[in-house]
Amino acid sequence: MDHFTPYTYFQCPCTDNSISIRNIGHLESTRADHDDEDERTFDPKAPRANFSLYPLDHLLYCEICHEIRCPRCALDEIVTWYCPNCLFEVPSSTVKSEGNRCTRSCFQCPVCVAPLSVNSEAPAPTGLGAEHAGPAGPFVLSCSFCCWSSAEIGIKFEKPNSIFSQLAKIKNGGDPILSAKQRRLDREERRRDFSDASIPEDAQEVLPLDPNEQLDAEAQFSNLKSFYQSQLADASPASALGFGGEYGYGSPGALTRIMGLYTGGGLADKRSQSKSTPMREACDATEGLQLAKTNADEDLAKLRREGWEGTVSKEQRCEQAHEPHFVSDLRPIAALLRTKRSKRCKSCRHILSKPESKVQNTRFRIRLLAMNYIPTITIKPLQPVLPGQSSLLSPMKPTQFVLTFKNPLYDAVNVSIATPSQTPGRYSSKVTVLCPQFEVGAYIEDAWDDVLREPGEKGGEKERRRTRAETFEGQQQAEAGKVWESGRNWVSVVVEIVPATVGPESGPAFLTEGLEQDNSPMKEDEDILEIPVFVRLEWETDPAHDDGLGAPVSKDKEAKVKRELAYWCVLGVGRIAQV
Amino acid sequence: MSSSKRASTMPAGPKPPTSLASTLIIADNATLTGTNLITIGASTIVHPRTRISCVHAPVTIGSSCILSERSSIGFQSSPSGEDQGRGVVIENGVVVEIGAIVEASRIGEGSLIEVNAKVGKGAVLGKHCKIGPLCTVAEGEVLPDFTVVFGNGQRRIDSSGAQELKLKMVGRQVEVLRKLIPSNLAKFQ
Ligand SMILES: [Zn+2]
Ligand SMILES: [Zn+2]
Ligand SMILES: [Zn+2]
Ligand SMILES: [Zn+2]
Repeated sequence: MDHFTPYTYFQCPCTDNSISIRNIGHLESTRADHDDEDERTFDPKAPRANFSLYPLDHLLYCEICHEIRCPRCALDEIVTWYCPNCLFEVPSSTVKSEGNRCTRSCFQCPVCVAPLSVNSEAPAPTGLGAEHAGPAGPFVLSCSFCCWSSAEIGIKFEKPNSIFSQLAKIKNGGDPILSAKQRRLDREERRRDFSDASIPEDAQEVLPLDPNEQLDAEAQFSNLKSFYQSQLADASPASALGFGGEYGYGSPGALTRIMGLYTGGGLADKRSQSKSTPMREACDATEGLQLAKTNADEDLAKLRREGWEGTVSKEQRCEQAHEPHFVSDLRPIAALLRTKRSKRCKSCRHILSKPESKVQNTRFRIRLLAMNYIPTITIKPLQPVLPGQSSLLSPMKPTQFVLTFKNPLYDAVNVSIATPSQTPGRYSSKVTVLCPQFEVGAYIEDAWDDVLREPGEKGGEKERRRTRAETFEGQQQAEAGKVWESGRNWVSVVVEIVPATVGPESGPAFLTEGLEQDNSPMKEDEDILEIPVFVRLEWETDPAHDDGLGAPVSKDKEAKVKRELAYWCVLGVGRIAQV
Repeated sequence: MSSSKRASTMPAGPKPPTSLASTLIIADNATLTGTNLITIGASTIVHPRTRISCVHAPVTIGSSCILSERSSIGFQSSPSGEDQGRGVVIENGVVVEIGAIVEASRIGEGSLIEVNAKVGKGAVLGKHCKIGPLCTVAEGEVLPDFTVVFGNGQRRIDSSGAQELKLKMVGRQVEVLRKLIPSNLAKFQ
């Protein structure tokens, strides 16, 4: 059996627990409905729980609202777009016009997704002054991991820089791709020839200019776009706001008109409505119409010739823009841009996290991590698992775990924890917290303090360890109501667990009592024992501390403010052995 | 040097019979163990702490090869098939990177065995193959020339035609390493 690492997940308080979460996609509904709203236990196994549980290091904390903030209750704002490969900062206006890919020379391998490098095909120059001479072309993109090279798809470059724009002009195999402008000119020319022959526009039996013209997806899109642009222009020629610009669709006037054309003029002004004529659809390749191929002989022949090796895998296909079938149709993938984001609290709009805007700088200007505001919780077995021993929990055998709370605050915190006596779900284990209320001391930053204070505290240290010593001599049991172990800013308590019987058959009657019988086969990870724990923190703080300045504690007791924070956690304890 | 001290604590077994080229660069604390013949060609570089084992079968290494640190060449256990009796043959210009384990019957010219890769017993690699980091070639597997094993065991044939360039690069790397690694050929002869 594989190793299980105990974990702790925190539920952000923004989650609405009042909805009976087990109702969704589940049969058990009656039990939750009986419960009072306050008493409702959070069920970590419910399908919805996945969306509200986070490890502590994923959570932020708003100092204004005094609440935990998760990715769901924080707003993201993009600070910078940048290429992960060349670390070039891309202005957001460029991202809007050019798309979210690096437009320099950063590509990833279409076969194995490793970054590609630009290499010269020609042998390195030798002889006198060789090291000063630049590499000679042609250049190829090559992958040092799987040895793929753009030469395999017949693409070579003249220059070693601005590969993106060079690639945009070359088809697989080396033929040039006509730019949109050239294509438009070409199309216009052909249309002129076409209309000279005086063929009616809507005639279906007449073959279009080049019915067999196989357009690639880019060309097809470009043809379609220019066709509809001309259609729209024809529909409202009097308009002052033309569609001349590449992004003319975005302007409010143009949008109104498009809506008007499609909705029969409800939104358009009267003038353009009166002039609008029904729009024609694209009817040939020059207008962007591509009929689905009915004859796949070519593909079949290729498949026979190249075999399995010549086809792309699902992963490779998903990365490509136009879903190719053959390896020879793959194109290098331009590097996807990444973002740096700042986060804001959804309710008070204060910034929770703000990175430096420079790409190379990995520091944060503001970063309010929940880890610095709420105690961390760790869980480990009381009796360490010896090597070779199974790490599985034995059903029905009481097992003790140590739960450690570590306080990051400069104030002592009163912690109350509550767990349901039986874990929710089909396999219900018994849980008892031996000491549900305790105080965790303040965090002291200065390590020297720790050393200097040590001699004076020797007595206290002994006092602290007493319960532990007793248990080792005695019956190996922690005392109820007492803290197991504690240090300056941490406290450990013992939790006793009686794991349920997990298996196809339901457990003994006393465990399943009151539950609807569900004999369906075990779901994935249903054998993991997860304990929902409700944690409530109470502490008194100097308001100056809230600013995170760590100012010395004021002597004035009246200035202290009482704070309270409560949230659900889930402790992943271990896997239960199946019977 | 700590590593040489460690080598000296090992029981000094009898030196294996060797046939070493005079231009071979072999580091002082490379380990050659066994009783079968070890043949290493000209201009080959054997890094410190490379292990060549001829306990179960002879090992033949061509010229201009690079055997990196902590790589293991030779059968780790006794051969099972008759055809494996010839032992491990590594052709010219082969690079075995750090921590790789090579038990193949034959590694073709110009092949590259990357970091911590493993080539199983009796496998036959064609020329200019490339076994990616942590990739495994099963026992007795036969790979055609130009095979690239990468990622999660995916395979493809490299048709970039850069093999000459790569051989040249290996040659250049050998030239650099010759100057960097102090050789103690006499120790193993
Ligand atoms: Zn939240
Ligand atoms: Zn880039
Ligand atoms: Zn690749
Ligand atoms: Zn807030």
